[in-house]
Amino acid sequence: MRLRVHHRTDYHYTTPVTDSVNELRLYPASGRWQSCESAFITVLPAVRLRRYEDLNCNVVHHFELARPHQRLTIESRITVTTREKVDFEKLPYGFHHRDLPRCQRLEECFPFLQDSHYVTRTPDIWRQALDIQGGSTDVFQTSYAIMEHIFGGYTYRSGATTVGTHASEVIERRTGVCQDFAHAMVALCRAIGIPARYVSGYFFDATRDHRLRGSEASHAWVEIYIDGSGWIGLDPTNNKVVDATYIVIATGRDYRDVAPVIGTYYGTGRSSLSVTVQVQRLAE
Amino acid sequence: MFENYQKDHFFDEMFVSGDHDVFDFYQPLRERFDRLSEAELSEKRRRVDHGFLEQGVTFTVYGDEQGTERIFPFDLIPRVIPDAEWRLVEQGLTQRIIALNLFLHDVYHEGRIIKDGIIPEDVVKTAAHYRPEMLGVQVPRDIYIHICGSDLIRDGEGRYLVLEDNGRCPSGVSYLLENREAMKRAFPGLYRKCGVRPVDQYPELLLKTLQHLSPRTGQTPVCVLLTPGVYNSAYFEHTFLARKMGIEIVEGRDLIATDGYVYMRTTKGLVQVDVIYRRLDDDFLDPAVFRPDSMLGVPGIMEAYLRGNVALANAVGTGVADDKVTYAYVPDMIRYYLAQDPILDNVPTYLAWKADDQKYILENLERLVVKAANESGGYGMLMGPSSTAAERAEFADRIRHTPRNYIAQPVVPLSRHPTICDDMAIEGRHVDLRPFILYGEDVEIIPGGLTRVALKKGSLVVNSSQGGGSKDTWVLYR
Repeated sequence: MRLRVHHRTDYHYTTPVTDSVNELRLYPASGRWQSCESAFITVLPAVRLRRYEDLNCNVVHHFELARPHQRLTIESRITVTTREKVDFEKLPYGFHHRDLPRCQRLEECFPFLQDSHYVTRTPDIWRQALDIQGGSTDVFQTSYAIMEHIFGGYTYRSGATTVGTHASEVIERRTGVCQDFAHAMVALCRAIGIPARYVSGYFFDATRDHRLRGSEASHAWVEIYIDGSGWIGLDPTNNKVVDATYIVIATGRDYRDVAPVIGTYYGTGRSSLSVTVQVQRLAE
Repeated sequence: MFENYQKDHFFDEMFVSGDHDVFDFYQPLRERFDRLSEAELSEKRRRVDHGFLEQGVTFTVYGDEQGTERIFPFDLIPRVIPDAEWRLVEQGLTQRIIALNLFLHDVYHEGRIIKDGIIPEDVVKTAAHYRPEMLGVQVPRDIYIHICGSDLIRDGEGRYLVLEDNGRCPSGVSYLLENREAMKRAFPGLYRKCGVRPVDQYPELLLKTLQHLSPRTGQTPVCVLLTPGVYNSAYFEHTFLARKMGIEIVEGRDLIATDGYVYMRTTKGLVQVDVIYRRLDDDFLDPAVFRPDSMLGVPGIMEAYLRGNVALANAVGTGVADDKVTYAYVPDMIRYYLAQDPILDNVPTYLAWKADDQKYILENLERLVVKAANESGGYGMLMGPSSTAAERAEFADRIRHTPRNYIAQPVVPLSRHPTICDDMAIEGRHVDLRPFILYGEDVEIIPGGLTRVALKKGSLVVNSSQGGGSKDTWVLYR
C-alpha cells in the first residue's frame, strides 16, 4: 500500500523563547515490510538539520535554535510503500510460554523485558496479566488476549491523561489514548516475560465510516517478539493485528524513546501546540 | 516511419541503442506511427496547427519586426515517461521546492545559512531580485514560491539534471494543457491505449493553492490574476488560466489599494481582493516601492501585502532563489535544511565571481555556455562552441567587468527525441522538460510538464523565443 503522510506541528509561545534544542523522530523506518520512497522533514524558522541514528536504529533529526522565537513549525511529508507484516491466514501461533526465557538472552529482546521510564512491572500488573492469560500456553494467543482486554475494558478518552502518564496509572484507571493503551499493553506483556516494545507511527483508516481511533494524529501501538517470526504488531486501541495500513516511524522501550518531537528551551511564556496529521492513500 | 532514424551518439528518449529497438514504454506509440502514411501524418499535423491558430494559442516574440504573434510550433510525437522514472523526478522536485522555500524564509529572516558560511552573504545581497523590503515579513503560510517551473534536462547517460528553477512567474503551463487537448484529438485511440495520466486538474489545483493563502477565512476567497496586459508574451496563458479557474483577470488599473487593502473595480462597485496571482515581475508591481515608472502596477499594493491583507503568489523577492548564481548553491541548501542529499543533480556550474572559476571560464569560453545571472528566455547567453571570436571577446569583457552577473556551464549533450521535421522526415531533436510544481497545503506536481524541443538541427536552445517548439508529455500509470 502506497501511503503519503503530512504531519505538521505548530508551537506558539506567548513570549519569545531562546536556545531551543530538539530531537525529531519523524523519519520512517525501513525494512522488508516498509520502504521509504521519500521523506522531507522541515523546520521553520529555517535551521540546519543534522541526522543520525539512535540505539534503536530510529532516524533522528536534531536542530538548535538559539535566537529568540515565538513560533516553531515542524513538518514532515513522507511517502512510503508498506507490505503486510504477517500472513493473516497463518498467524504466528505455536510459540510456547515455557520457551520465553530463551528470549531473555537475545540482545534484541533484553531491553524490552526490563522496566523503562513509563513502564514498571509491579506485582499487581503481574497478577492482572496472569488473569488475562488464563489457561493459554501460546505467546501470541496471550498477547492477543491482552490486546482484547485493553480494547474491551478500557475507555478511550482524550484529555483524561497527559503525555507523561505512567503505565501503572493507566492500568489502574483504565482510561486514556493510544499512547496509554500501548504503555499498558507493554507493561502487561513484560510482566509475564513477553518481550514488548512501543511503536510510534501512523495508520490509514481504510474503513468506510472511519471508525478507527487515532488516525488523525500520531498513533502508537505495540510489537511483541515471537521466536521464529520476529516482532509482530498489535494495536490495542483498535484491536487489530498490524497490517499494511500502518506506517512505522520509530520503536523503543516506551514513549520516551520515540517521542516525535522532544526538546528543551529557555523561556517563561506559556506555549500552545497544534498538530495535524493527514494520511492519504496513493495509487500504486 | 522510423526506418531512416539516426540516433547518433546522443541519449535518445525513444530508441534504446544503435539499432532500431525502442524502450518498451514507447512500443504502442511506435506501432501506431508505423501504421501511418506520410499523407495521414501530414494531414493530422495540418489540422492540429489549424486548431491552435483558430483558438489563438499564440505567444509573442519581442524584438521581431515581422508580426509578433506566433503559434507555438507543436510536434506530434509525444514524449513518454514511465511511472518509475517520473516518481524520481517528482521526489527530486518536491525536495527542491521545499529547500528553496526554506532558503527564502531564511534569507528574509535570520540568514542562518549565511552565518553558517554555506552561502556567501554578497551572493544573496547582490542578487538583482533580492528585496530588502521583505526582511522580517511573515508571508502567508510561510510559503514564498507557490508556483515553480523547473527546467530539467537529461544528459548523455539519460540522468535527469536541473538546469534552472523559475520561481518568479514561470509560464508555459497553458501550452502543456493545450498540447494535451490537441494530442487527444489527433490520436484518441493511442492516448487511451497507453494509459496516460491526466493533466487537466491543473487549474483546479492552482486555484486551491491560491485560495489556501487567503488572509480572510470563513468565506470563499476572492482571487484574481494580475496581468501586465495584452502585449505580454504570455498574455494568452493569462486569459487561459483565469478562464479555467473561473477568476477575474485584471490589469493594474483595475485594482486600487487604499488603507492597506486591495480592491477590484467592478460594475457593482469595489470588491476586496484576497489573493493575487500576479504574472508581473516584482519591479513593476508597485510604482510607489519599486520602479516609479511602472504603468502596470498598483500603487499601495505592497503596503497591503506587508500588512497581510492581501496575498501575492508568488511572494515578493523570490527572484533571489532563482538567480543563476544561487542555483549553484541549491544542493548545499538541501543538505543544510533537509539533512539529505539532492535527489536531482545540478549541471556543474562555474561562478565568474570566484577568481579560480573565472580564470577557467575565460580560458575555456569556446567549450562552455555562459549565461547572465538574471536573464531568462534564452536571452543574454553565449553558446561557446557555436560562437564567433568577436562574441567571445565581448562576453570575456563583460565577465571581467561584472563577474557577479555571469555563470558558465559545460555544454550538456541534451537528450534527443524523434521529431517531425521539414518534408515530414523524422529526425532527432534536443529536448528539455519543464514540470510545474504547486506548493499549497501540499506539494503537487502535474504529471509530466512542457517538453520543449529545439527545432533547428543541432540546436541546444529550446526556448520558444529562440525558435523552439513543444511536445505533449505522457506520464504513464505504469
